[in-house]
Amino acid sequence: MGPRPPFLGDEDRDRVLLATAELCAERGYEALGVDEIAARAEVSGDRFRELFPDKETAALIVIDEILAAIVDTAAKLYSPDRSEAESYLEGIKALLEMMSAAPATAYTAYIGARQMMPPRLTDRRESGARMLAVMLERLRYYSTVETQPPIAARAAIGGAEAVVRREVALGRTAELPKLLPDFIYSATVPFLGQEEALRLARTTAAQLTEKHEP
Amino acid sequence: MNTGQREALLRAMLDELVSKGYGEASVEAAIGNAGVSRADFVGDFRGKDDCLFAAYDQLADRLVARTSARCDSIESWPERVREGLAALLDQLAAEPGMARALTRAFPGIRPDTYERYVSLLGRFTPFMTEGRAYAEVDEDLPGEVELLAVGAAEAIIFGEVDAGRAEQLPAMLPEILFSVLVPFVGPERAADEMRSAAATS
Repeated sequence: MGPRPPFLGDEDRDRVLLATAELCAERGYEALGVDEIAARAEVSGDRFRELFPDKETAALIVIDEILAAIVDTAAKLYSPDRSEAESYLEGIKALLEMMSAAPATAYTAYIGARQMMPPRLTDRRESGARMLAVMLERLRYYSTVETQPPIAARAAIGGAEAVVRREVALGRTAELPKLLPDFIYSATVPFLGQEEALRLARTTAAQLTEKHEP
Repeated sequence: MNTGQREALLRAMLDELVSKGYGEASVEAAIGNAGVSRADFVGDFRGKDDCLFAAYDQLADRLVARTSARCDSIESWPERVREGLAALLDQLAAEPGMARALTRAFPGIRPDTYERYVSLLGRFTPFMTEGRAYAEVDEDLPGEVELLAVGAAEAIIFGEVDAGRAEQLPAMLPEILFSVLVPFVGPERAADEMRSAAATS
Protein backbone atom coordinates (compact mmCIF):
# COMPACT_ATOMS: atom_id res chain seq x y z
CA MET A 1 0.00 0.00 0.00
CA GLY A 2 1.05 3.60 -0.57
CA PRO A 3 1.72 6.50 1.81
CA ARG A 4 -0.72 6.90 4.69
CA PRO A 5 -2.24 10.24 5.65
CA PRO A 6 -1.61 11.24 9.29
CA PHE A 7 -5.21 10.55 10.29
CA LEU A 8 -5.07 6.85 9.36
CA GLY A 9 -3.26 4.22 11.39
CA ASP A 10 -2.38 0.58 10.69
CA GLU A 11 -5.44 -1.12 12.13
CA ASP A 12 -7.60 -3.26 9.81
CA ARG A 13 -10.21 -0.52 9.63
CA ASP A 14 -7.69 2.12 8.57
CA ARG A 15 -6.01 -0.17 6.03
CA VAL A 16 -9.41 -0.81 4.45
CA LEU A 17 -10.04 2.93 4.27
CA LEU A 18 -6.66 3.57 2.66
CA ALA A 19 -7.20 0.67 0.22
CA THR A 20 -10.58 2.16 -0.73
CA ALA A 21 -8.93 5.51 -1.44
CA GLU A 22 -6.07 3.97 -3.39
CA LEU A 23 -8.28 1.83 -5.61
CA CYS A 24 -10.63 4.73 -6.24
CA ALA A 25 -7.62 6.76 -7.42
CA GLU A 26 -6.42 3.94 -9.65
CA ARG A 27 -9.66 2.66 -11.17
CA GLY A 28 -12.50 4.98 -10.17
CA TYR A 29 -15.22 4.35 -7.62
CA GLU A 30 -17.68 2.41 -9.78
CA ALA A 31 -15.21 -0.36 -10.61
CA LEU A 32 -14.35 -0.98 -6.95
CA GLY A 33 -15.30 -4.32 -5.44
CA VAL A 34 -15.31 -5.30 -1.80
CA ASP A 35 -13.05 -8.29 -2.38
CA GLU A 36 -10.52 -6.18 -4.21
CA ILE A 37 -10.48 -3.62 -1.41
CA ALA A 38 -10.09 -6.37 1.17
CA ALA A 39 -7.19 -7.93 -0.76
CA ARG A 40 -5.39 -4.58 -1.02
CA ALA A 41 -5.92 -4.02 2.70
CA GLU A 42 -4.71 -7.55 3.43
CA VAL A 43 -7.87 -8.50 5.29
CA SER A 44 -10.43 -11.17 4.43
CA GLY A 45 -13.76 -10.37 2.78
CA ASP A 46 -15.48 -11.40 6.00
CA ARG A 47 -13.31 -9.03 7.99
CA PHE A 48 -14.24 -6.21 5.59
CA ARG A 49 -17.93 -6.96 6.15
CA GLU A 50 -17.43 -6.98 9.92
CA LEU A 51 -16.02 -3.49 9.66
CA PHE A 52 -18.26 -2.00 6.95
CA PRO A 53 -21.56 -3.13 5.42
CA ASP A 54 -20.48 -2.16 1.90
CA LYS A 55 -17.98 -0.18 -0.16
CA GLU A 56 -20.18 2.92 -0.08
CA THR A 57 -19.94 3.09 3.70
CA ALA A 58 -16.18 2.59 3.57
CA ALA A 59 -15.90 5.42 1.03
CA LEU A 60 -18.18 7.62 3.15
CA ILE A 61 -15.98 7.10 6.17
CA VAL A 62 -12.87 7.97 4.13
CA ILE A 63 -14.54 11.28 3.28
CA ASP A 64 -15.59 11.84 6.89
CA GLU A 65 -12.06 11.16 8.11
CA ILE A 66 -10.68 13.69 5.65
CA LEU A 67 -13.26 16.31 6.65
CA ALA A 68 -12.59 15.68 10.34
CA ALA A 69 -8.86 16.15 9.76
CA ILE A 70 -9.53 19.42 7.92
CA VAL A 71 -11.79 20.71 10.71
CA ASP A 72 -9.27 19.69 13.32
CA THR A 73 -6.46 21.45 11.45
CA ALA A 74 -8.53 24.60 10.92
CA ALA A 75 -9.60 24.74 14.56
CA LYS A 76 -5.98 24.64 15.72
CA LEU A 77 -4.92 27.41 13.38
CA TYR A 78 -7.37 30.14 14.38
CA SER A 79 -5.59 32.29 16.91
CA PRO A 80 -6.06 35.82 18.25
CA ASP A 81 -2.39 36.42 17.34
CA ARG A 82 -3.14 35.99 13.64
CA SER A 83 -5.29 37.98 11.21
CA GLU A 84 -8.23 36.21 9.55
CA ALA A 85 -6.31 36.11 6.27
CA GLU A 86 -3.19 34.69 7.92
CA SER A 87 -5.23 32.03 9.70
CA TYR A 88 -6.83 31.07 6.41
CA LEU A 89 -3.40 30.99 4.76
CA GLU A 90 -2.09 28.65 7.44
CA GLY A 91 -5.19 26.47 7.05
CA ILE A 92 -4.78 26.09 3.28
CA LYS A 93 -1.08 25.39 3.76
CA ALA A 94 -1.76 22.63 6.29
CA LEU A 95 -4.44 21.14 4.05
CA LEU A 96 -2.12 21.06 1.01
CA GLU A 97 0.70 19.51 2.99
CA MET A 98 -1.67 16.84 4.27
CA MET A 99 -2.90 16.09 0.75
CA SER A 100 0.55 16.15 -0.86
CA ALA A 101 1.74 13.49 1.58
CA ALA A 102 -1.02 11.05 0.63
CA PRO A 103 -1.90 11.17 -3.11
CA ALA A 104 -4.64 8.53 -2.96
CA THR A 105 -6.46 10.38 -0.22
CA ALA A 106 -6.12 13.60 -2.20
CA TYR A 107 -7.63 11.90 -5.25
CA THR A 108 -10.56 10.60 -3.24
CA ALA A 109 -11.15 13.96 -1.55
CA TYR A 110 -10.92 16.17 -4.60
CA ILE A 111 -12.02 13.99 -7.51
CA GLY A 112 -13.62 10.73 -6.36
CA ALA A 113 -15.86 12.32 -3.77
CA ARG A 114 -16.85 15.09 -6.14
CA GLN A 115 -17.50 13.40 -9.44
CA MET A 116 -17.36 9.64 -9.09
CA MET A 117 -19.40 8.67 -6.07
CA PRO A 118 -23.15 8.44 -5.33
CA PRO A 119 -25.01 11.55 -4.09
CA ARG A 120 -24.88 10.59 -0.40
CA LEU A 121 -21.08 10.74 -0.61
CA THR A 122 -20.70 13.72 -2.91
CA ASP A 123 -23.08 15.73 -0.72
CA ARG A 124 -20.86 15.05 2.25
CA ARG A 125 -17.84 16.32 0.38
CA GLU A 126 -19.70 19.41 -0.80
CA SER A 127 -20.62 20.20 2.79
CA GLY A 128 -16.87 20.32 3.50
CA ALA A 129 -16.29 22.73 0.62
CA ARG A 130 -19.14 24.92 1.90
CA MET A 131 -17.55 24.93 5.34
CA LEU A 132 -14.32 26.30 3.84
CA ALA A 133 -16.38 28.90 1.98
CA VAL A 134 -18.05 30.00 5.22
CA MET A 135 -14.63 30.43 6.80
CA LEU A 136 -13.50 32.47 3.82
CA GLU A 137 -16.65 34.58 4.01
CA ARG A 138 -15.26 36.12 7.19
CA LEU A 139 -12.91 38.16 4.98
CA ARG A 140 -15.97 40.04 3.78
CA TYR A 141 -15.78 42.13 6.99
CA TYR A 142 -12.36 43.43 5.93
CA SER A 143 -13.40 44.26 2.38
CA THR A 144 -13.57 47.79 1.03
CA VAL A 145 -16.10 46.61 -1.56
CA GLU A 146 -19.57 45.60 -0.50
CA THR A 147 -20.85 44.18 -3.72
CA GLN A 148 -19.33 40.72 -3.88
CA PRO A 149 -22.04 38.27 -4.90
CA PRO A 150 -23.05 35.60 -2.38
CA ILE A 151 -21.22 32.95 -4.43
CA ALA A 152 -17.87 34.81 -4.31
CA ALA A 153 -16.29 32.69 -1.57
CA ARG A 154 -17.46 29.37 -3.01
CA ALA A 155 -16.24 30.40 -6.47
CA ALA A 156 -12.85 31.51 -5.13
CA ILE A 157 -12.37 28.15 -3.44
CA GLY A 158 -13.57 26.49 -6.65
CA GLY A 159 -10.79 28.20 -8.59
CA ALA A 160 -8.15 26.78 -6.27
CA GLU A 161 -9.83 23.37 -6.29
CA ALA A 162 -9.68 23.25 -10.10
CA VAL A 163 -5.91 23.67 -9.97
CA VAL A 164 -5.65 21.08 -7.18
CA ARG A 165 -7.75 18.59 -9.16
CA ARG A 166 -5.59 19.06 -12.26
CA GLU A 167 -2.41 18.42 -10.27
CA VAL A 168 -3.92 15.40 -8.49
CA ALA A 169 -5.31 13.93 -11.72
CA LEU A 170 -1.94 14.30 -13.43
CA GLY A 171 -0.10 12.64 -10.55
CA ARG A 172 1.60 15.82 -9.33
CA THR A 173 0.18 15.84 -5.81
CA ALA A 174 3.63 16.40 -4.30
CA GLU A 175 3.80 19.76 -6.07
CA LEU A 176 0.67 21.13 -4.38
CA PRO A 177 2.36 23.10 -1.57
CA LYS A 178 4.33 25.08 -4.19
CA LEU A 179 1.04 26.44 -5.51
CA LEU A 180 0.05 27.89 -2.16
CA PRO A 181 0.78 31.53 -3.16
CA ASP A 182 -1.59 31.19 -6.13
CA PHE A 183 -4.31 29.72 -3.92
CA ILE A 184 -3.89 32.48 -1.37
CA TYR A 185 -4.32 35.03 -4.14
CA SER A 186 -7.44 33.29 -5.44
CA ALA A 187 -9.03 33.04 -1.99
CA THR A 188 -8.41 36.61 -0.91
CA VAL A 189 -8.63 38.75 -4.06
CA PRO A 190 -12.47 38.99 -4.15
CA PHE A 191 -12.48 40.46 -0.65
CA LEU A 192 -9.16 42.20 -0.10
CA GLY A 193 -8.38 43.38 -3.65
CA GLN A 194 -5.42 42.69 -5.90
CA GLU A 195 -2.77 44.64 -4.01
CA GLU A 196 -3.36 42.94 -0.66
CA ALA A 197 -3.94 39.53 -2.23
CA LEU A 198 -0.63 39.79 -4.07
CA ARG A 199 1.11 40.93 -0.88
CA LEU A 200 -0.17 37.86 0.93
CA ALA A 201 0.85 35.65 -2.00
CA ARG A 202 4.36 37.18 -1.96
CA THR A 203 4.68 36.66 1.78
CA THR A 204 3.66 33.05 1.36
CA ALA A 205 6.12 32.53 -1.50
CA ALA A 206 8.92 34.00 0.63
CA GLN A 207 8.04 31.65 3.50
CA LEU A 208 8.13 28.68 1.14
CA THR A 209 11.55 29.74 -0.18
CA GLU A 210 12.91 30.16 3.38
CA LYS A 211 11.61 26.74 4.32
CA HIS A 212 13.47 25.10 1.44
CA GLU A 213 16.73 27.00 1.85
CA PRO A 214 19.41 25.22 3.90
CA MET B 1 -22.64 5.56 -41.03
CA ASN B 2 -23.30 8.98 -42.42
CA THR B 3 -22.67 12.10 -40.33
CA GLY B 4 -26.26 12.36 -39.15
CA GLN B 5 -26.37 8.74 -38.04
CA ARG B 6 -23.08 9.07 -36.22
CA GLU B 7 -24.32 12.22 -34.45
CA ALA B 8 -27.48 10.42 -33.41
CA LEU B 9 -25.52 7.43 -32.11
CA LEU B 10 -23.07 9.55 -30.10
CA ARG B 11 -25.92 11.44 -28.55
CA ALA B 12 -27.87 8.26 -27.79
CA MET B 13 -24.80 6.81 -26.10
CA LEU B 14 -24.46 9.86 -23.85
CA ASP B 15 -28.20 9.71 -23.10
CA GLU B 16 -27.71 6.10 -22.01
CA LEU B 17 -24.78 7.09 -19.81
CA VAL B 18 -26.63 9.96 -18.14
CA SER B 19 -29.85 8.05 -17.56
CA LYS B 20 -28.43 4.66 -16.50
CA GLY B 21 -24.85 5.20 -15.38
CA TYR B 22 -21.74 3.67 -16.92
CA GLY B 23 -22.32 0.10 -15.78
CA GLU B 24 -25.85 -0.12 -17.14
CA ALA B 25 -25.40 2.05 -20.25
CA SER B 26 -26.17 -0.21 -23.19
CA VAL B 27 -24.69 -0.08 -26.66
CA GLU B 28 -27.65 -2.09 -27.95
CA ALA B 29 -30.11 0.45 -26.58
CA ALA B 30 -28.12 3.34 -28.05
CA ILE B 31 -27.98 1.63 -31.43
CA GLY B 32 -31.73 1.09 -31.30
CA ASN B 33 -32.49 4.65 -30.23
CA ALA B 34 -30.21 6.10 -32.91
CA GLY B 35 -31.67 3.86 -35.62
CA VAL B 36 -28.32 2.45 -36.76
CA SER B 37 -27.26 -1.16 -37.19
CA ARG B 38 -24.86 -3.20 -35.09
CA ALA B 39 -22.65 -3.53 -38.18
CA ASP B 40 -22.50 0.27 -38.45
CA PHE B 41 -21.45 0.50 -34.82
CA VAL B 42 -18.74 -2.12 -35.18
CA GLY B 43 -17.50 -0.40 -38.32
CA ASP B 44 -16.86 2.84 -36.44
CA PHE B 45 -16.12 1.89 -32.84
CA ARG B 46 -14.12 -0.76 -31.01
CA GLY B 47 -16.74 -0.93 -28.25
CA LYS B 48 -18.69 1.01 -25.64
CA ASP B 49 -15.74 2.96 -24.26
CA ASP B 50 -14.51 3.97 -27.70
CA CYS B 51 -17.97 5.29 -28.55
CA LEU B 52 -18.30 7.11 -25.23
CA PHE B 53 -14.92 8.81 -25.63
CA ALA B 54 -15.86 9.90 -29.15
CA ALA B 55 -19.20 11.21 -27.90
CA TYR B 56 -17.59 13.15 -25.07
CA ASP B 57 -14.89 14.63 -27.30
CA GLN B 58 -17.47 15.74 -29.83
CA LEU B 59 -19.63 17.31 -27.15
CA ALA B 60 -16.64 19.12 -25.66
CA ASP B 61 -15.49 20.33 -29.10
CA ARG B 62 -18.97 21.66 -29.83
CA LEU B 63 -19.15 23.49 -26.51
CA VAL B 64 -15.81 25.20 -27.03
CA ALA B 65 -16.50 25.99 -30.70
CA ARG B 66 -19.91 27.54 -30.03
CA THR B 67 -18.50 29.56 -27.15
CA SER B 68 -15.68 30.85 -29.36
CA ALA B 69 -18.03 31.61 -32.24
CA ARG B 70 -20.10 33.91 -30.07
CA CYS B 71 -17.28 35.90 -28.55
CA ASP B 72 -14.09 35.72 -30.63
CA SER B 73 -14.83 38.80 -32.73
CA ILE B 74 -15.50 41.06 -29.74
CA GLU B 75 -12.57 43.41 -29.25
CA SER B 76 -12.95 44.36 -25.59
CA TRP B 77 -11.71 41.54 -23.34
CA PRO B 78 -14.23 41.96 -20.48
CA GLU B 79 -17.07 42.04 -23.00
CA ARG B 80 -15.65 39.01 -24.77
CA VAL B 81 -15.52 37.11 -21.48
CA ARG B 82 -19.09 38.13 -20.68
CA GLU B 83 -20.40 37.03 -24.05
CA GLY B 84 -18.38 33.80 -24.01
CA LEU B 85 -19.66 32.99 -20.53
CA ALA B 86 -23.21 33.77 -21.61
CA ALA B 87 -22.79 31.42 -24.58
CA LEU B 88 -21.50 28.67 -22.33
CA LEU B 89 -24.29 29.04 -19.79
CA ASP B 90 -26.94 29.16 -22.52
CA GLN B 91 -25.69 25.90 -24.03
CA LEU B 92 -25.62 24.10 -20.70
CA ALA B 93 -29.08 25.38 -19.79
CA ALA B 94 -30.52 24.32 -23.15
CA GLU B 95 -29.35 20.72 -22.72
CA PRO B 96 -29.23 19.75 -19.03
CA GLY B 97 -28.64 16.09 -19.86
CA MET B 98 -25.60 16.93 -21.95
CA ALA B 99 -24.42 19.31 -19.20
CA ARG B 100 -24.53 16.37 -16.80
CA ALA B 101 -22.68 14.16 -19.28
CA LEU B 102 -19.97 16.81 -19.57
CA THR B 103 -19.47 17.48 -15.88
CA ARG B 104 -20.30 14.30 -14.03
CA ALA B 105 -21.48 11.21 -15.93
CA PHE B 106 -18.44 10.79 -18.20
CA PRO B 107 -15.66 12.31 -16.07
CA GLY B 108 -16.80 10.24 -13.10
CA ILE B 109 -16.36 6.84 -14.76
CA ARG B 110 -12.68 6.43 -13.89
CA PRO B 111 -9.36 8.32 -13.91
CA ASP B 112 -8.78 8.29 -17.69
CA THR B 113 -12.22 9.75 -18.38
CA TYR B 114 -11.62 12.34 -15.66
CA GLU B 115 -8.48 13.47 -17.48
CA ARG B 116 -10.70 14.46 -20.43
CA TYR B 117 -12.55 16.82 -18.09
CA VAL B 118 -9.26 18.34 -16.93
CA SER B 119 -8.39 18.90 -20.61
CA LEU B 120 -11.78 20.48 -21.28
CA LEU B 121 -11.29 23.02 -18.51
CA GLY B 122 -7.82 23.73 -19.85
CA ARG B 123 -9.32 24.63 -23.23
CA PHE B 124 -11.08 27.60 -21.65
CA THR B 125 -7.97 29.12 -20.10
CA PRO B 126 -6.72 30.81 -23.33
CA PHE B 127 -9.91 32.91 -23.25
CA MET B 128 -8.63 34.44 -20.03
CA THR B 129 -4.98 35.22 -20.80
CA GLU B 130 -5.57 38.72 -22.15
CA GLY B 131 -7.04 39.64 -18.78
CA ARG B 132 -3.52 39.90 -17.35
CA ALA B 133 -3.17 43.24 -19.13
CA TYR B 134 -6.22 44.56 -17.25
CA ALA B 135 -4.73 44.15 -13.75
CA GLU B 136 -4.74 47.23 -11.53
CA VAL B 137 -1.28 46.38 -10.24
CA ASP B 138 2.11 46.46 -11.93
CA GLU B 139 3.13 43.14 -10.49
CA ASP B 140 2.61 39.92 -12.49
CA LEU B 141 -0.50 37.98 -11.54
CA PRO B 142 -0.03 34.40 -10.29
CA GLY B 143 0.97 31.78 -12.85
CA GLU B 144 -2.26 29.85 -12.47
CA VAL B 145 -4.62 32.84 -12.61
CA GLU B 146 -6.33 31.67 -15.81
CA LEU B 147 -7.31 28.29 -14.38
CA LEU B 148 -8.22 29.89 -11.05
CA ALA B 149 -10.75 32.01 -12.95
CA VAL B 150 -12.08 29.15 -15.07
CA GLY B 151 -12.30 26.95 -11.98
CA ALA B 152 -14.31 29.60 -10.14
CA ALA B 153 -16.95 29.47 -12.87
CA GLU B 154 -16.77 25.69 -13.03
CA ALA B 155 -17.43 25.32 -9.31
CA ILE B 156 -20.69 27.22 -9.59
CA ILE B 157 -21.73 25.61 -12.88
CA PHE B 158 -20.95 22.12 -11.58
CA GLY B 159 -22.99 22.71 -8.43
CA GLU B 160 -26.03 23.91 -10.37
CA VAL B 161 -25.88 21.12 -12.94
CA ASP B 162 -25.42 18.54 -10.21
CA ALA B 163 -28.41 19.91 -8.31
CA GLY B 164 -30.58 19.64 -11.43
CA ARG B 165 -30.72 23.41 -11.91
CA ALA B 166 -28.84 23.78 -15.20
CA GLU B 167 -31.75 25.76 -16.65
CA GLN B 168 -31.12 28.51 -14.11
CA LEU B 169 -27.49 29.07 -15.14
CA PRO B 170 -28.10 31.99 -17.56
CA ALA B 171 -29.70 33.98 -14.73
CA MET B 172 -26.46 33.56 -12.75
CA LEU B 173 -24.32 35.20 -15.45
CA PRO B 174 -23.64 38.44 -13.51
CA GLU B 175 -22.46 36.65 -10.35
CA ILE B 176 -20.35 34.12 -12.20
CA LEU B 177 -18.87 36.90 -14.32
CA PHE B 178 -17.72 38.67 -11.13
CA SER B 179 -15.90 35.54 -9.99
CA VAL B 180 -14.23 35.00 -13.37
CA LEU B 181 -13.06 38.61 -13.73
CA VAL B 182 -12.05 39.36 -10.14
CA PRO B 183 -8.61 37.70 -10.22
CA PHE B 184 -7.72 39.89 -13.22
CA VAL B 185 -9.33 43.24 -12.50
CA GLY B 186 -9.99 43.26 -8.75
CA PRO B 187 -13.31 43.43 -6.90
CA GLU B 188 -14.31 47.01 -7.75
CA ARG B 189 -14.13 46.60 -11.51
CA ALA B 190 -15.50 43.08 -11.40
CA ALA B 191 -18.48 44.44 -9.47
CA ASP B 192 -18.96 47.13 -12.14
CA GLU B 193 -19.01 44.44 -14.82
CA MET B 194 -21.42 42.36 -12.74
CA ARG B 195 -23.81 45.29 -12.42
CA SER B 196 -23.53 46.04 -16.11
CA ALA B 197 -24.32 42.42 -16.99
CA ALA B 198 -27.27 42.41 -14.58
CA ALA B 199 -28.63 45.57 -16.16
CA THR B 200 -28.45 44.22 -19.69
CA SER B 201 -29.44 40.60 -19.13
